[in-house]
Amino acid sequence: MKICVDLDKCKSHGQCVIAAPEIFSFAADNQLNWVEHPEETLRKAAEEAADVCPEQAITIEG
Amino acid sequence: MNVMAEGSLPFLNLSDPSFSIRSEAVRQARERNWCARTPYGLAVLRYEEVGKLLRDPRLRQGSYAWPAHNQATGSFAEWWLAMLLNRIGDDHARLRRLANPAFSPKLIGSLKPKFENLAHELIDGFAQRGRCDFMAEFSEPYATRVICILLGLDQSEWRALADISGEMGLALGVTYKQDMARVNAATDRLYDYARRVISERRTRPPGDDFVSLLLQANADKDALSDEELDNMVVLAVFGGIDTTRNQLGLAMSMFIENPGQWTLLAGQPELARQAVEEVMRTRPTTTWVTRETMEDIVFNGLEIKKGTTLHLFAESAGTDPQVFTPGFDISVKRMPHFGFGGGTHHCLGHFIARGDMTEALRILAERIRNPRYDGDVLWLPDSGNTGAVKLPIAFDPEGQGGGQ
Repeated sequence: MKICVDLDKCKSHGQCVIAAPEIFSFAADNQLNWVEHPEETLRKAAEEAADVCPEQAITIEG
Repeated sequence: MNVMAEGSLPFLNLSDPSFSIRSEAVRQARERNWCARTPYGLAVLRYEEVGKLLRDPRLRQGSYAWPAHNQATGSFAEWWLAMLLNRIGDDHARLRRLANPAFSPKLIGSLKPKFENLAHELIDGFAQRGRCDFMAEFSEPYATRVICILLGLDQSEWRALADISGEMGLALGVTYKQDMARVNAATDRLYDYARRVISERRTRPPGDDFVSLLLQANADKDALSDEELDNMVVLAVFGGIDTTRNQLGLAMSMFIENPGQWTLLAGQPELARQAVEEVMRTRPTTTWVTRETMEDIVFNGLEIKKGTTLHLFAESAGTDPQVFTPGFDISVKRMPHFGFGGGTHHCLGHFIARGDMTEALRILAERIRNPRYDGDVLWLPDSGNTGAVKLPIAFDPEGQGGGQ
Protein backbone atom coordinates (compact mmCIF):
# COMPACT_ATOMS: atom_id res chain seq x y z
CA MET A 1 0.00 0.00 0.00
CA LYS A 2 1.26 3.46 -0.92
CA ILE A 3 -0.20 6.73 0.39
CA CYS A 4 -0.28 9.62 -2.06
CA VAL A 5 -1.19 13.17 -1.05
CA ASP A 6 -1.83 15.83 -3.67
CA LEU A 7 -0.23 18.78 -1.91
CA ASP A 8 -1.79 21.22 -4.39
CA LYS A 9 -5.17 20.14 -3.08
CA CYS A 10 -4.15 19.72 0.58
CA LYS A 11 -5.32 22.64 2.73
CA SER A 12 -3.86 21.27 5.98
CA HIS A 13 -7.25 20.84 7.65
CA GLY A 14 -5.77 17.91 9.58
CA GLN A 15 -8.75 15.57 9.25
CA CYS A 16 -6.36 12.79 8.17
CA VAL A 17 -4.34 13.34 11.34
CA ILE A 18 -7.51 12.80 13.36
CA ALA A 19 -8.60 9.76 11.33
CA ALA A 20 -5.20 8.03 11.13
CA PRO A 21 -2.63 9.50 13.55
CA GLU A 22 -0.45 6.42 12.99
CA ILE A 23 0.09 7.55 9.38
CA PHE A 24 -0.38 11.34 9.25
CA SER A 25 1.09 14.09 11.42
CA PHE A 26 1.94 17.77 11.25
CA ALA A 27 5.51 18.98 11.54
CA ALA A 28 6.24 22.07 13.64
CA ASP A 29 5.80 24.33 10.59
CA ASN A 30 2.31 22.88 9.97
CA GLN A 31 3.60 20.84 7.00
CA LEU A 32 1.93 17.47 6.55
CA ASN A 33 4.08 14.37 7.10
CA TRP A 34 2.91 10.87 6.31
CA VAL A 35 4.18 7.31 6.23
CA GLU A 36 4.44 6.51 2.55
CA HIS A 37 4.22 2.72 2.91
CA PRO A 38 2.29 1.93 6.10
CA GLU A 39 1.77 -1.57 7.43
CA GLU A 40 -1.13 -3.46 5.89
CA THR A 41 -2.82 -3.50 9.32
CA LEU A 42 -3.36 0.25 8.91
CA ARG A 43 -5.36 -0.07 5.69
CA LYS A 44 -8.70 0.73 7.32
CA ALA A 45 -7.27 3.82 9.01
CA ALA A 46 -5.68 4.92 5.71
CA GLU A 47 -8.98 4.49 3.88
CA GLU A 48 -10.82 6.49 6.52
CA ALA A 49 -8.26 9.29 6.20
CA ALA A 50 -8.70 9.37 2.42
CA ASP A 51 -12.46 9.26 2.81
CA VAL A 52 -12.67 12.09 5.31
CA CYS A 53 -10.27 14.56 3.64
CA PRO A 54 -12.41 17.63 2.85
CA GLU A 55 -10.35 18.34 -0.27
CA GLN A 56 -10.16 14.66 -1.30
CA ALA A 57 -6.39 15.04 -1.65
CA ILE A 58 -5.43 11.54 -0.46
CA THR A 59 -5.31 8.42 -2.60
CA ILE A 60 -4.14 4.91 -1.78
CA GLU A 61 -2.31 2.85 -4.36
CA GLY A 62 -2.01 -0.89 -4.11
CA MET B 1 9.91 42.38 12.97
CA ASN B 2 7.80 45.51 12.67
CA VAL B 3 4.94 45.21 15.05
CA MET B 4 1.73 46.81 13.89
CA ALA B 5 -0.16 48.96 16.40
CA GLU B 6 -3.65 47.58 16.94
CA GLY B 7 -5.00 51.11 17.23
CA SER B 8 -4.19 51.78 13.58
CA LEU B 9 -6.57 49.03 12.40
CA PRO B 10 -10.00 49.84 10.96
CA PHE B 11 -12.99 49.28 13.29
CA LEU B 12 -16.13 47.26 12.48
CA ASN B 13 -19.08 47.31 14.89
CA LEU B 14 -20.24 43.68 14.71
CA SER B 15 -22.62 44.25 17.65
CA ASP B 16 -24.76 46.72 15.70
CA PRO B 17 -27.88 44.82 14.55
CA SER B 18 -27.71 46.70 11.24
CA PHE B 19 -24.08 45.66 10.62
CA SER B 20 -23.76 43.91 7.26
CA ILE B 21 -21.00 41.56 6.28
CA ARG B 22 -21.46 42.81 2.72
CA SER B 23 -21.35 46.52 3.56
CA GLU B 24 -19.10 49.13 2.05
CA ALA B 25 -17.51 49.52 5.51
CA VAL B 26 -16.25 45.91 5.34
CA ARG B 27 -15.04 46.39 1.76
CA GLN B 28 -13.13 49.53 2.72
CA ALA B 29 -11.65 47.89 5.82
CA ARG B 30 -10.49 44.95 3.67
CA GLU B 31 -8.92 47.41 1.23
CA ARG B 32 -7.02 49.07 4.08
CA ASN B 33 -5.90 46.04 6.05
CA TRP B 34 -6.20 42.28 6.41
CA CYS B 35 -7.63 42.78 9.89
CA ALA B 36 -10.07 45.05 11.73
CA ARG B 37 -10.93 45.70 15.37
CA THR B 38 -14.44 44.80 16.61
CA PRO B 39 -16.24 45.02 19.99
CA TYR B 40 -15.22 41.36 20.54
CA GLY B 41 -11.69 40.83 19.30
CA LEU B 42 -10.51 41.06 15.70
CA ALA B 43 -12.10 40.46 12.30
CA VAL B 44 -9.93 38.83 9.61
CA LEU B 45 -10.96 40.02 6.16
CA ARG B 46 -8.71 38.60 3.44
CA TYR B 47 -8.45 35.19 1.81
CA GLU B 48 -4.84 34.34 2.57
CA GLU B 49 -5.02 35.27 6.25
CA VAL B 50 -8.39 33.59 6.84
CA GLY B 51 -7.02 30.40 5.25
CA LYS B 52 -3.92 30.41 7.45
CA LEU B 53 -5.68 31.24 10.70
CA LEU B 54 -8.44 28.66 10.20
CA ARG B 55 -5.87 25.92 10.72
CA ASP B 56 -3.29 27.66 12.88
CA PRO B 57 -2.48 25.25 15.74
CA ARG B 58 -2.02 28.16 18.17
CA LEU B 59 -5.75 28.90 17.94
CA ARG B 60 -8.75 26.98 19.18
CA GLN B 61 -12.33 27.00 17.97
CA GLY B 62 -13.81 30.15 19.51
CA SER B 63 -17.49 29.28 19.80
CA TYR B 64 -17.06 27.89 23.30
CA ALA B 65 -16.85 31.46 24.58
CA TRP B 66 -20.32 32.29 23.23
CA PRO B 67 -22.31 31.55 26.44
CA ALA B 68 -19.84 33.52 28.58
CA HIS B 69 -19.82 36.48 26.18
CA ASN B 70 -23.60 36.55 26.13
CA GLN B 71 -24.41 35.59 29.72
CA ALA B 72 -26.33 32.67 28.26
CA THR B 73 -27.53 29.95 30.64
CA GLY B 74 -29.79 26.92 30.43
CA SER B 75 -30.00 23.82 28.29
CA PHE B 76 -28.86 25.40 25.00
CA ALA B 77 -25.71 26.84 26.59
CA GLU B 78 -25.01 23.49 28.31
CA TRP B 79 -25.39 21.58 25.03
CA TRP B 80 -23.29 24.18 23.23
CA LEU B 81 -20.34 23.68 25.56
CA ALA B 82 -20.60 19.88 25.51
CA MET B 83 -20.98 19.26 21.77
CA LEU B 84 -18.38 18.33 19.18
CA LEU B 85 -17.66 21.84 17.85
CA ASN B 86 -16.51 23.03 21.26
CA ARG B 87 -14.47 19.99 22.28
CA ILE B 88 -10.74 20.06 21.70
CA GLY B 89 -7.77 17.69 21.51
CA ASP B 90 -8.21 13.94 22.05
CA ASP B 91 -11.87 14.23 23.05
CA HIS B 92 -12.69 16.05 19.84
CA ALA B 93 -10.68 13.56 17.76
CA ARG B 94 -12.44 10.56 19.37
CA LEU B 95 -15.93 11.99 18.69
CA ARG B 96 -15.03 13.12 15.21
CA ARG B 97 -13.70 9.66 14.28
CA LEU B 98 -16.97 8.13 15.47
CA ALA B 99 -19.14 10.54 13.52
CA ASN B 100 -17.19 10.72 10.27
CA PRO B 101 -18.33 7.43 8.65
CA ALA B 102 -21.98 8.56 8.81
CA PHE B 103 -21.10 11.58 6.65
CA SER B 104 -18.77 9.85 4.19
CA PRO B 105 -18.65 10.95 0.54
CA LYS B 106 -19.24 7.27 -0.32
CA LEU B 107 -22.84 7.66 0.86
CA ILE B 108 -23.70 10.31 -1.72
CA GLY B 109 -24.25 7.80 -4.53
CA SER B 110 -26.96 5.93 -2.66
CA LEU B 111 -28.55 9.11 -1.30
CA LYS B 112 -28.73 10.94 -4.63
CA PRO B 113 -31.98 9.27 -5.82
CA LYS B 114 -33.60 10.09 -2.47
CA PHE B 115 -32.56 13.74 -2.75
CA GLU B 116 -33.90 13.82 -6.34
CA ASN B 117 -37.27 12.35 -5.36
CA LEU B 118 -37.60 14.74 -2.46
CA ALA B 119 -36.79 17.79 -4.62
CA HIS B 120 -39.34 16.75 -7.26
CA GLU B 121 -42.03 16.03 -4.67
CA LEU B 122 -41.64 19.48 -3.11
CA ILE B 123 -41.53 21.29 -6.47
CA ASP B 124 -44.67 19.40 -7.56
CA GLY B 125 -46.42 21.19 -4.70
CA PHE B 126 -46.02 24.66 -6.23
CA ALA B 127 -44.71 24.37 -9.81
CA GLN B 128 -48.09 24.96 -11.50
CA ARG B 129 -48.98 27.84 -9.18
CA GLY B 130 -46.11 29.97 -10.47
CA ARG B 131 -45.29 31.33 -7.03
CA CYS B 132 -44.28 30.09 -3.58
CA ASP B 133 -42.52 31.03 -0.38
CA PHE B 134 -39.23 29.37 -1.23
CA MET B 135 -38.22 29.00 2.43
CA ALA B 136 -41.49 27.49 3.72
CA GLU B 137 -42.24 25.36 0.68
CA PHE B 138 -38.81 24.23 -0.47
CA SER B 139 -35.66 24.93 1.49
CA GLU B 140 -37.07 24.22 4.96
CA PRO B 141 -38.83 20.91 4.20
CA TYR B 142 -35.95 19.86 1.93
CA ALA B 143 -33.20 20.52 4.50
CA THR B 144 -35.22 18.95 7.30
CA ARG B 145 -36.25 15.85 5.43
CA VAL B 146 -32.67 15.26 4.27
CA ILE B 147 -31.71 15.12 7.94
CA CYS B 148 -34.59 12.71 8.57
CA ILE B 149 -33.23 10.48 5.80
CA LEU B 150 -29.69 10.56 7.24
CA LEU B 151 -30.79 9.85 10.79
CA GLY B 152 -33.39 7.29 9.84
CA LEU B 153 -36.20 9.44 11.26
CA ASP B 154 -39.83 9.45 10.19
CA GLN B 155 -40.07 12.16 7.50
CA SER B 156 -43.64 12.97 8.54
CA GLU B 157 -42.19 14.56 11.69
CA TRP B 158 -40.23 17.13 9.72
CA ARG B 159 -42.43 20.09 10.68
CA ALA B 160 -41.78 19.71 14.42
CA LEU B 161 -38.04 19.30 13.85
CA ALA B 162 -37.88 22.36 11.58
CA ASP B 163 -39.71 24.46 14.20
CA ILE B 164 -37.41 23.28 16.97
CA SER B 165 -34.33 23.96 14.88
CA GLY B 166 -35.57 27.43 13.95
CA GLU B 167 -36.22 28.33 17.59
CA MET B 168 -32.82 27.03 18.68
CA GLY B 169 -31.24 29.06 15.87
CA LEU B 170 -32.47 32.26 17.55
CA ALA B 171 -29.64 31.67 20.02
CA LEU B 172 -27.13 32.69 17.36
CA GLY B 173 -28.98 35.85 16.37
CA VAL B 174 -28.66 39.37 17.71
CA THR B 175 -31.95 39.17 19.66
CA TYR B 176 -30.81 36.15 21.69
CA LYS B 177 -31.38 37.73 25.10
CA GLN B 178 -35.12 38.17 24.66
CA ASP B 179 -35.34 34.77 22.95
CA MET B 180 -33.38 32.76 25.53
CA ALA B 181 -36.41 31.11 27.19
CA ARG B 182 -37.73 29.96 23.80
CA VAL B 183 -34.29 28.74 22.79
CA ASN B 184 -33.97 26.63 25.94
CA ALA B 185 -37.51 25.26 25.64
CA ALA B 186 -36.77 24.21 22.05
CA THR B 187 -33.49 22.59 23.15
CA ASP B 188 -35.36 20.59 25.80
CA ARG B 189 -37.86 19.44 23.19
CA LEU B 190 -35.08 18.31 20.88
CA TYR B 191 -33.40 16.35 23.68
CA ASP B 192 -36.72 14.64 24.45
CA TYR B 193 -37.09 13.80 20.78
CA ALA B 194 -33.48 12.55 20.48
CA ARG B 195 -33.83 10.30 23.54
CA ARG B 196 -37.10 8.88 22.23
CA VAL B 197 -35.47 8.07 18.88
CA ILE B 198 -32.43 6.53 20.58
CA SER B 199 -34.44 4.27 22.91
CA GLU B 200 -36.69 3.19 20.05
CA ARG B 201 -33.65 2.50 17.82
CA ARG B 202 -32.09 0.30 20.51
CA THR B 203 -35.00 -2.12 20.09
CA ARG B 204 -34.41 -2.85 16.40
CA PRO B 205 -31.52 -4.22 14.34
CA PRO B 206 -28.94 -1.54 13.45
CA GLY B 207 -29.34 0.18 10.09
CA ASP B 208 -26.76 2.26 8.25
CA ASP B 209 -28.08 5.58 9.57
CA PHE B 210 -26.25 7.99 11.87
CA VAL B 211 -28.15 7.01 15.03
CA SER B 212 -27.51 3.28 14.48
CA LEU B 213 -23.83 3.95 13.87
CA LEU B 214 -23.50 5.92 17.09
CA LEU B 215 -25.44 3.28 19.01
CA GLN B 216 -22.87 0.68 18.02
CA ALA B 217 -20.12 2.92 19.39
CA ASN B 218 -22.18 3.55 22.52
CA ALA B 219 -22.00 -0.18 23.41
CA ASP B 220 -18.63 0.83 24.89
CA LYS B 221 -19.44 3.80 27.14
CA ASP B 222 -15.80 4.92 27.12
CA ALA B 223 -15.98 5.24 23.34
CA LEU B 224 -19.21 7.22 23.45
CA SER B 225 -21.13 7.94 26.64
CA ASP B 226 -24.94 8.14 26.79
CA GLU B 227 -24.75 11.88 27.25
CA GLU B 228 -22.38 12.29 24.27
CA LEU B 229 -24.75 10.20 22.18
CA ASP B 230 -27.67 12.52 23.00
CA ASN B 231 -25.53 15.60 22.32
CA MET B 232 -24.44 14.23 18.94
CA VAL B 233 -28.00 13.55 17.76
CA VAL B 234 -29.03 17.06 18.82
CA LEU B 235 -26.04 18.45 16.89
CA ALA B 236 -26.91 16.52 13.73
CA VAL B 237 -30.49 17.80 13.74
CA PHE B 238 -29.73 21.40 14.65
CA GLY B 239 -26.49 21.69 12.68
CA GLY B 240 -27.92 20.10 9.58
CA ILE B 241 -31.29 21.79 9.24
CA ASP B 242 -30.67 25.45 9.90
CA THR B 243 -27.53 25.75 7.81
CA THR B 244 -28.82 23.98 4.69
CA ARG B 245 -32.20 25.73 4.89
CA ASN B 246 -30.49 29.11 4.96
CA GLN B 247 -27.90 28.24 2.32
CA LEU B 248 -30.51 27.11 -0.20
CA GLY B 249 -32.46 30.35 0.28
CA LEU B 250 -29.29 32.36 -0.24
CA ALA B 251 -28.60 30.32 -3.38
CA MET B 252 -32.04 31.18 -4.79
CA SER B 253 -31.52 34.88 -4.04
CA MET B 254 -28.11 34.85 -5.77
CA PHE B 255 -29.64 33.30 -8.88
CA ILE B 256 -32.61 35.71 -8.85
CA GLU B 257 -30.07 38.53 -8.83
CA ASN B 258 -28.01 36.82 -11.56
CA PRO B 259 -30.70 35.46 -13.90
CA GLY B 260 -28.27 34.61 -16.69
CA GLN B 261 -26.57 32.15 -14.34
CA TRP B 262 -29.87 30.37 -13.64
CA THR B 263 -30.44 29.95 -17.39
CA LEU B 264 -26.88 28.67 -17.71
CA LEU B 265 -27.48 26.10 -14.95
CA ALA B 266 -30.75 24.95 -16.53
CA GLY B 267 -28.90 24.40 -19.82
CA GLN B 268 -25.85 22.78 -18.23
CA PRO B 269 -27.07 20.82 -15.19
CA GLU B 270 -23.59 19.35 -14.74
CA LEU B 271 -22.60 22.78 -13.36
CA ALA B 272 -24.81 22.26 -10.29
CA ARG B 273 -21.95 21.02 -8.12
CA GLN B 274 -19.84 24.06 -8.99
CA ALA B 275 -22.89 26.30 -8.51
CA VAL B 276 -23.05 25.19 -4.87
CA GLU B 277 -19.41 26.24 -4.43
CA GLU B 278 -19.95 29.59 -6.14
CA VAL B 279 -22.98 30.37 -3.95
CA MET B 280 -21.09 29.44 -0.80
CA ARG B 281 -18.09 31.51 -1.82
CA THR B 282 -20.09 34.67 -2.47
CA ARG B 283 -23.06 34.27 -0.09
CA PRO B 284 -22.28 31.80 2.72
CA THR B 285 -24.87 31.37 5.47
CA THR B 286 -22.00 31.10 7.94
CA THR B 287 -20.62 34.57 7.36
CA TRP B 288 -17.81 34.08 9.83
CA VAL B 289 -16.30 31.41 12.04
CA THR B 290 -14.43 32.20 15.23
CA ARG B 291 -11.09 31.19 16.68
CA GLU B 292 -9.40 32.13 19.94
CA THR B 293 -5.68 32.48 20.58
CA MET B 294 -4.39 29.96 23.14
CA GLU B 295 -1.16 31.92 23.63
CA ASP B 296 0.24 35.37 22.76
CA ILE B 297 1.03 35.24 19.06
CA VAL B 298 2.50 37.46 16.36
CA PHE B 299 0.76 37.05 13.01
CA ASN B 300 1.54 39.20 9.94
CA GLY B 301 3.39 41.59 12.21
CA LEU B 302 0.43 42.01 14.57
CA GLU B 303 0.78 41.08 18.23
CA ILE B 304 -2.37 39.25 19.32
CA LYS B 305 -2.84 38.56 23.02
CA LYS B 306 -3.82 35.17 24.42
CA GLY B 307 -7.60 34.83 24.68
CA THR B 308 -8.38 37.15 21.74
CA THR B 309 -11.40 36.18 19.62
CA LEU B 310 -10.77 36.21 15.87
CA HIS B 311 -13.76 36.42 13.54
CA LEU B 312 -12.68 34.85 10.26
CA PHE B 313 -14.92 36.43 7.61
CA ALA B 314 -15.84 33.76 5.06
CA GLU B 315 -17.75 36.07 2.70
CA SER B 316 -15.15 38.82 2.78
CA ALA B 317 -12.34 36.27 2.17
CA GLY B 318 -14.38 34.59 -0.57
CA THR B 319 -14.75 37.85 -2.50
CA ASP B 320 -11.23 39.15 -1.83
CA PRO B 321 -10.24 40.97 -5.04
CA GLN B 322 -6.60 39.94 -4.55
CA VAL B 323 -7.66 36.34 -5.24
CA PHE B 324 -10.99 36.37 -7.10
CA THR B 325 -12.16 38.20 -10.19
CA PRO B 326 -15.38 40.02 -9.27
CA GLY B 327 -18.79 38.58 -10.04
CA PHE B 328 -20.92 35.47 -9.66
CA ASP B 329 -20.13 32.91 -12.34
CA ILE B 330 -20.83 29.20 -11.90
CA SER B 331 -18.83 28.28 -15.00
CA VAL B 332 -15.52 29.45 -13.49
CA LYS B 333 -13.39 27.10 -11.41
CA ARG B 334 -12.39 29.03 -8.28
CA MET B 335 -10.08 28.60 -5.32
CA PRO B 336 -11.74 26.81 -2.35
CA HIS B 337 -14.03 28.97 -0.22
CA PHE B 338 -14.37 28.94 3.58
CA GLY B 339 -18.12 28.44 3.79
CA PHE B 340 -17.58 25.15 5.64
CA GLY B 341 -14.93 26.59 7.94
CA GLY B 342 -11.65 24.69 7.90
CA GLY B 343 -9.02 22.89 9.88
CA THR B 344 -9.80 20.47 12.70
CA HIS B 345 -13.39 21.69 12.98
CA HIS B 346 -14.13 21.69 9.23
CA CYS B 347 -17.87 21.07 8.81
CA LEU B 348 -18.66 17.42 9.47
CA GLY B 349 -21.65 17.30 7.13
CA HIS B 350 -20.14 19.05 4.11
CA PHE B 351 -20.13 16.08 1.71
CA ILE B 352 -23.83 15.53 2.39
CA ALA B 353 -24.64 19.25 2.25
CA ARG B 354 -22.79 19.58 -1.05
CA GLY B 355 -24.56 16.51 -2.39
CA ASP B 356 -28.07 17.50 -1.36
CA MET B 357 -27.72 21.13 -2.46
CA THR B 358 -26.30 20.02 -5.82
CA GLU B 359 -29.38 17.89 -6.51
CA ALA B 360 -31.72 20.64 -5.27
CA LEU B 361 -30.21 23.35 -7.49
CA ARG B 362 -30.01 21.07 -10.52
CA ILE B 363 -33.69 20.12 -10.33
CA LEU B 364 -34.88 23.60 -9.37
CA ALA B 365 -33.11 25.12 -12.37
CA GLU B 366 -34.64 22.46 -14.61
CA ARG B 367 -38.21 23.12 -13.45
CA ILE B 368 -38.42 26.67 -12.06
CA ARG B 369 -37.99 29.08 -14.96
CA ASN B 370 -37.43 32.80 -14.68
CA PRO B 371 -37.59 33.07 -10.87
CA ARG B 372 -37.95 36.57 -9.40
CA TYR B 373 -38.79 38.19 -6.07
CA ASP B 374 -42.55 38.34 -5.43
CA GLY B 375 -42.93 40.85 -2.60
CA ASP B 376 -40.68 41.66 0.33
CA VAL B 377 -38.03 39.19 1.43
CA LEU B 378 -37.61 38.97 5.20
CA TRP B 379 -33.92 38.57 6.00
CA LEU B 380 -32.02 37.63 9.12
CA PRO B 381 -29.30 40.17 9.99
CA ASP B 382 -26.48 40.00 7.47
CA SER B 383 -23.97 38.71 10.00
CA GLY B 384 -23.33 35.58 12.08
CA ASN B 385 -25.47 32.84 10.51
CA THR B 386 -27.61 34.56 7.93
CA GLY B 387 -30.38 33.77 5.45
CA ALA B 388 -33.96 34.54 4.51
CA VAL B 389 -36.89 33.95 6.84
CA LYS B 390 -39.46 34.48 4.09
CA LEU B 391 -38.53 34.42 0.41
CA PRO B 392 -41.63 34.87 -1.77
CA ILE B 393 -40.81 34.15 -5.40
CA ALA B 394 -42.74 34.05 -8.68
CA PHE B 395 -41.75 32.11 -11.79
CA ASP B 396 -43.18 30.75 -15.03
CA PRO B 397 -45.91 28.24 -14.09
CA GLU B 398 -45.09 24.72 -15.19
CA GLY B 399 -47.14 23.11 -17.96
CA GLN B 400 -48.86 26.26 -19.24
CA GLY B 401 -47.68 26.71 -22.82
CA GLY B 402 -44.17 27.80 -23.54
CA GLY B 403 -43.09 26.12 -20.29
CA GLN B 404 -41.84 22.59 -19.85
